[in-house]
Amino acid sequence: MRKRFRRTREFIGRHPRAASLSAVAIVLAFLWATPASWQTSTLRLAVPIALAAIGGIFAEKSGVINIGIEGLLIVSAFSSIIAVYWLGDGGATMGVSNLWWGLLVGILVSVLFALIFAIVCIEFKADQIIAGLAIWLISLGLAPFASRIVFGSPNTASVARFGSVTVPGLSEIPIVGYLLFDTEPQVYLMLAGTLAGWYLLSRTTFGRWVVASGENPKALDTAGVDVRKVRYAAVLLSGVFAGLGGAGFALGTLGTFAGGGDTAINGRGFIAIATYLLANYHPVGAVLSSFLFAGLNSLQTALQSAGYAIPTELIRTIPHMSVIVVLVLVGRTRLPDAAGDHYESGED
Amino acid sequence: MTKPGPGTTDGAELAAGSEVDTADRGTRTGETGTDLAVHLDGITKRFPGVVANDDVDLRVERGSVHALLGENGAGKTTLMNVLYGLYEPEAGRVVVDGTERGFGSPQDAIDAGIGMIHQHFMLVDSMTVAENIALGNEPTKWFGMAVDREQIAREIDDLCDRYGFDVDPEATVEDLSVGVQQRVEILKALFRGTDVLILDEPTAVLTPQEVEDLYDVLDELTAQGKTVIFITHKLEEATHAADAITILRDGESVGTVAPERTDREDLAERMVGREVLLEVDADPVTTGKVVLSTRNVAVEDARGVDVVSGIDLDVRAGEIVGIAGVDGNGQAELIEAITGLRTPDAGTIAYEGTDITDWSRRRRIDAGMSYIPEDRHERGLVMPFDLVENSILGSQRSPEFAADGRIDWTAVRDHTDDLIDTYDVRPPDADADASSFSGGNQQKFIVGREFERDPSLVIATYPTRGVDIGSTEFIHDRLLELRREGVAIVLVSSKLDEVQALSDRLAVMYEGEFIDVTDPDAITEEELGLLMAGQQVDETGKGASDAGTVGTNGGESR
Repeated sequence: MRKRFRRTREFIGRHPRAASLSAVAIVLAFLWATPASWQTSTLRLAVPIALAAIGGIFAEKSGVINIGIEGLLIVSAFSSIIAVYWLGDGGATMGVSNLWWGLLVGILVSVLFALIFAIVCIEFKADQIIAGLAIWLISLGLAPFASRIVFGSPNTASVARFGSVTVPGLSEIPIVGYLLFDTEPQVYLMLAGTLAGWYLLSRTTFGRWVVASGENPKALDTAGVDVRKVRYAAVLLSGVFAGLGGAGFALGTLGTFAGGGDTAINGRGFIAIATYLLANYHPVGAVLSSFLFAGLNSLQTALQSAGYAIPTELIRTIPHMSVIVVLVLVGRTRLPDAAGDHYESGED
Repeated sequence: MTKPGPGTTDGAELAAGSEVDTADRGTRTGETGTDLAVHLDGITKRFPGVVANDDVDLRVERGSVHALLGENGAGKTTLMNVLYGLYEPEAGRVVVDGTERGFGSPQDAIDAGIGMIHQHFMLVDSMTVAENIALGNEPTKWFGMAVDREQIAREIDDLCDRYGFDVDPEATVEDLSVGVQQRVEILKALFRGTDVLILDEPTAVLTPQEVEDLYDVLDELTAQGKTVIFITHKLEEATHAADAITILRDGESVGTVAPERTDREDLAERMVGREVLLEVDADPVTTGKVVLSTRNVAVEDARGVDVVSGIDLDVRAGEIVGIAGVDGNGQAELIEAITGLRTPDAGTIAYEGTDITDWSRRRRIDAGMSYIPEDRHERGLVMPFDLVENSILGSQRSPEFAADGRIDWTAVRDHTDDLIDTYDVRPPDADADASSFSGGNQQKFIVGREFERDPSLVIATYPTRGVDIGSTEFIHDRLLELRREGVAIVLVSSKLDEVQALSDRLAVMYEGEFIDVTDPDAITEEELGLLMAGQQVDETGKGASDAGTVGTNGGESR
């Protein structure tokens, strides 16, 4: 089985053009064959997973495993809703719709939590996994608690949501136009964020430093770059992306924040971690695999409304199961060498 | 962040300027010239309890190769770390290019044109050569929005042309041999506009051929006006490659000599402080019964590729069988199979006539198999344990130290003190953590622990790696003593002189197979080097046909 995967990979390596052409063909055939409503809903459900995954990639690539990304999604979703609620539903502040202010607040709160996480991990050298779990557990408790104070219930009131924005002309493109150019702001942000994340990681100086910091921080240090600064920047960036994902999901898709149980985020941050592991830390790959999981989620909802009840719990195991299967069969995911390790300049 | 842009023009000017310099000077060795690239004046550096450098002077001429020779712990690396800005000296001046400098950090030193290549390469394995070379100094385009990869490639091409390197900028570092990786490190320093290059034990990880190549590179560098300081404890390197040799002993400078006015014996004596026997005296020993015998052993790696195949090896009591080869040709896997750390995928291993292929590691230890592992940090010691605890790793159940499931710590401590004493482990502190000792002293301790187990078979992989000549001499003597006592010994080493001098028979391993088995006295070092590189040498007697049969017939004693 593994050998077959290796052969496929070798084929892709030898014929990159043929491989990408056939990939495009498969995607087009798939889009043609599936219902538009399901595709739209998949894209919308993919927003928090995809953006959190890109954020997670930056943190982990720099050597800081941010397992608290689920917590960042929770606080950003909640704080964006409450910001819109306080600023006034449907209104505008300084000429900008309150929804956008809500989005900004969501991102800032997420960055704040990421900063706390970064300080604890980098400055105080806490175990990254434990600190990450703490961020998740604190968020899991804090958001419903704050909601209870404001609304008297773990669930917030409903607020207005982002509406669709149609790009004239481009939306007329057959097969993909309606999907990519007649959609909601958070989906545009996700698509833009994907490209930005990929570009930042693979083409810029900062991206090179992030990778070096996660693989061999000592090499980066001797090259005269401050490893701590790079790691701080990467973790804060993971806060930006996760905040964008959480707030965008809340304001674009949910319109409210349910604080009961696993909250409205419902493990999507953990699925995000699974997606980027599946994609071996490639931002575009991570977004594509988040489509896969969001698609299953959306399929499950559709089947449920059609009377076929597949338990949600079962669907939710799929991302994690598939990561295990991929690790076993393809064996390609490779953690950065120094992921999880503290780095102190001057230590041998 | 300010970045010293290593522009093309920058580098070109340097090279052009220095070519003129060298031409002007003509003779550059021997005289204490006026043009000093680096002058360390009366450097004193103290660490708690130790004076690492005591009033050390070092004068390095521009365009020369200067060797810093000394035993482990003589203060060589400390001195260079002072020059590189990693340590602040308690006293003394650092003068670079005639200007006194105070380096607060390596970045200051880099800015002053000093580059250091550490013993452990500072490369990111998963990145390409170009990415590694430019790391931290990437030229950018589009207002800093993108790394200018074309410019990096251009500059690397220029550097490769100028210094005659053949390195593919797009290759991934982890796919490169150690020798090429070292060249990448040198390129990295040159890319930053380095004038003075410090190399910390540059040959420790290289094959003999790669060492020759490195010498060529050093020649090329100095021909173009660069200055090279290299740290070493190997006499041949100092005499062979350097224009001047400064010897350090116990933190003090014992003097600077020109290589043509000295010889190995003289250098060794200055270095160690007493006369050293450089030649090993291996007296003939009669061999006994076969202790270790492998038949057709094969090992696959994780990808299912054979890394060891068809190994037949017989080792008799009272003989040393050497296995020479470039690192990564299956020696590690073969040894793991023999010691029980890995199950062979094919073949059998017999020990004193019993098939032990399926025996556990513990059973093998109990049966009298000692093992000096290749990597002392990973397999030899538990770093956070003190020496007392480390001394019984592997014998924690032997009745000598343990009774009724309890460890008799008094007996263990006595044993540890004996080891420290006999094997001259410094500092002699049984309660210190293993991690606090220098590599050479850790190695001496491991060697002691394994030799004193009363073994009938010793598997010694790189037993003197990182150990200075004084201790190397001692370890070699002990190995020969064990051989006299009738212990069977397998010696794996990449040091040619070591395997050649100690072994009674010598197997050369290449790509998982023994390509030749020979009498070590009947082969020259050059021939051995070629064999290790996978080339057959006709005049070495045995051809490829009977390669792999280190058979019982080969047990001639000498």
